[in-house]
Amino acid sequence: MEVSILQARSRMVTATRDFFLSRGYLETDTPALAPSLIPESCLEVFATEYVHPTKGRRPLYLIPSPEIWMKKVIAETGRSVFQLCKSWRNAESVSRIHNPEFTMLEYYGVGLSSSDNIRLTEELFAALATDETPPQARPPFRVMSMKEAWHEFAHTDLDALAEPEAMREACRERGLLVPQDAPWEDAFNILFLSFVEPALPQDQPLVLNEYPAGIECLAMDIPGTTYKERWELYVSGIEIANCFTEMASSDAVRAYFASQSEKKRQALVPHHIDDSYASIFEHFPPCSGVAVGFDRLLMVLLGKRSLAEVMLFPFESFPETEQASLETLRNAAMHDSW
Amino acid sequence: MVRGGEIGIGTCLLINGTPHIVVEREFVSPGKGSAFARVRAKNLKNGNVITQTIKTADFVEDAQVDLVDCQYQYNDGEFFHFMNNETFDQFEVPVAAHEDRGPYLKEGETYTIVMWEGEPIDIKIPYKMVFTVVESENYVRGDTVSGATKPVTTETGLVVRVPLFIKQGEKILVNTESNEYVERVNE
Repeated sequence: MEVSILQARSRMVTATRDFFLSRGYLETDTPALAPSLIPESCLEVFATEYVHPTKGRRPLYLIPSPEIWMKKVIAETGRSVFQLCKSWRNAESVSRIHNPEFTMLEYYGVGLSSSDNIRLTEELFAALATDETPPQARPPFRVMSMKEAWHEFAHTDLDALAEPEAMREACRERGLLVPQDAPWEDAFNILFLSFVEPALPQDQPLVLNEYPAGIECLAMDIPGTTYKERWELYVSGIEIANCFTEMASSDAVRAYFASQSEKKRQALVPHHIDDSYASIFEHFPPCSGVAVGFDRLLMVLLGKRSLAEVMLFPFESFPETEQASLETLRNAAMHDSW
Repeated sequence: MVRGGEIGIGTCLLINGTPHIVVEREFVSPGKGSAFARVRAKNLKNGNVITQTIKTADFVEDAQVDLVDCQYQYNDGEFFHFMNNETFDQFEVPVAAHEDRGPYLKEGETYTIVMWEGEPIDIKIPYKMVFTVVESENYVRGDTVSGATKPVTTETGLVVRVPLFIKQGEKILVNTESNEYVERVNE
C-alpha cells in the first residue's frame, strides 16, 4: 500500500481548505444522497432507495456534483462557498481519467466573474504545486477562446458555423462521419474532438474560454454574442475544471430545465427533478463557480499519468461480483430472516 | 451497423466507402456533452490513419468481413504473397498499405487474413510469436546493470530489445502488440 499517496492527498486537501478559508469562503458539507437532481442530459447517475422498515421505499440518488445544494446555501446566505466531497457518475467507461466515484472540489465566489476565477484558480495551482509538479501543470495559464482555437486548429470561423447544416458540412468537408440529422451540438463535438482538442497546446495549463451558447448549460450568455461565460481548464490535454459565470435568471434556468428534461428521456438511469431549483434564482447574487476533478488535479500536480496512481482503491482494483453470486446472497439473507 | 460504444480495436468500419480498421480507441465525454468514441482508424487500401469521433449512442456502417487462414509465402518488394489454406488459391497484398506487418511475417507461417468483398484488406498478427535472433551484438562484460537490454534483429527484420544473455541463433517469444521481448524459447 502506497502510504505516500494518502499523505500527498491529505496535504493537498489541507492546503485547499486553508486556501479558501483564508479568503473568507464558507465550507459547506451537503448531502451525498439527494431526493432529486438537476436534469443534465450529459450525465448518468447512480440510483438507490431508502427502505422504510414498514412504509415502503423512496428513491434517492448519489450526487453527480454538490452544485444544487451549494447554490441553495449561496441563495440563503449570500456567501462565497467551497466544498470537497465525493461525487458519482454512472455509465462512463472506467479509464486512466475516469473513476465512477471521485472527489469533487467546487468553489463559488459571490461577486466574481468567470475571468476572476481564472486568476483565483491560478493562485490555487500555485498554492498546491509541489516539487514533483511538472512545468506543464504550473501557472500561469494560457487563455484561448474557443473561437481562437477553432481558427487556429480547424482553420475555420466558428461564427460562420452557427446553423446545424453548416456545422455538419464542416465535418463532412474534413472527411468526418456525421449523422444526417445530427444536432448542432453533436456536430460541434465531432469536429472539436477530432481536430481541435487533440491539437491544443500542452506546454502549460490552458483555459479554453467562451464556449458556444449552442452547448446548453447553466452559464450566463455573453450579451450580444453567441457565446457563454464558461471555460474549461486543460492540463496535459486532460479536462481538469469547468467554470461558469452562473446563470442568475430563474426564467433562463427554467428554460434550461425544460430542454434538458426533454433530452433526459433517453437516460439509462432516469431520476426525479428538483422543480424548486429554479426558484432559488429569484434572489441569487451574481457569482461564478468552478468544479474541479480533485483526483485529476492531484494526478497532474504530482506528475502522474493515471487516476489509479493517486487513489488507494481505484474502481479497476475492485473484484468482479457476478450477478449470480448476488442472487445467492439475497436468497441466503431471506432464508436467514425466516 | 455498429454502435459507437461498441467499437473496439480491430473493428472494421466502412468510412466513405473504404474499409478502415480501428487501431486506437478512447472514450471521451467533453464537459457538458455526451459520450463519444474517438478512434484512430487505418485505411486498409492505402495505410493512412485518420481520426473519427462517433457518439457512443449513434450507429456507423461497419465492413462485413470474412476471416480466412492463409499461409504467408514471400515478399517481392511490392506485394506480400499468400496462399489460402483451404482452396490453395494464391493472392497478393500490397506492401505499401501494410508495411507495419512486414517484420511479423514468417515464410510458411499461417496468418488470418481479413477479406472484404473478396479482397484481402488486413493481415492479423498473432498476439505472441516466436522469432529467431539472426543479428546480435555481444554485450560488454561488466555491464551488469539489472534490466539492461540490447537490440537484436530477427529473421524477419524485426528489431526487439532483449536481455543481454540472448545470443545469436536463439529463439525468443515477442509480444507483437507492444513489440516487447517476453521470454527465451528453448527447443
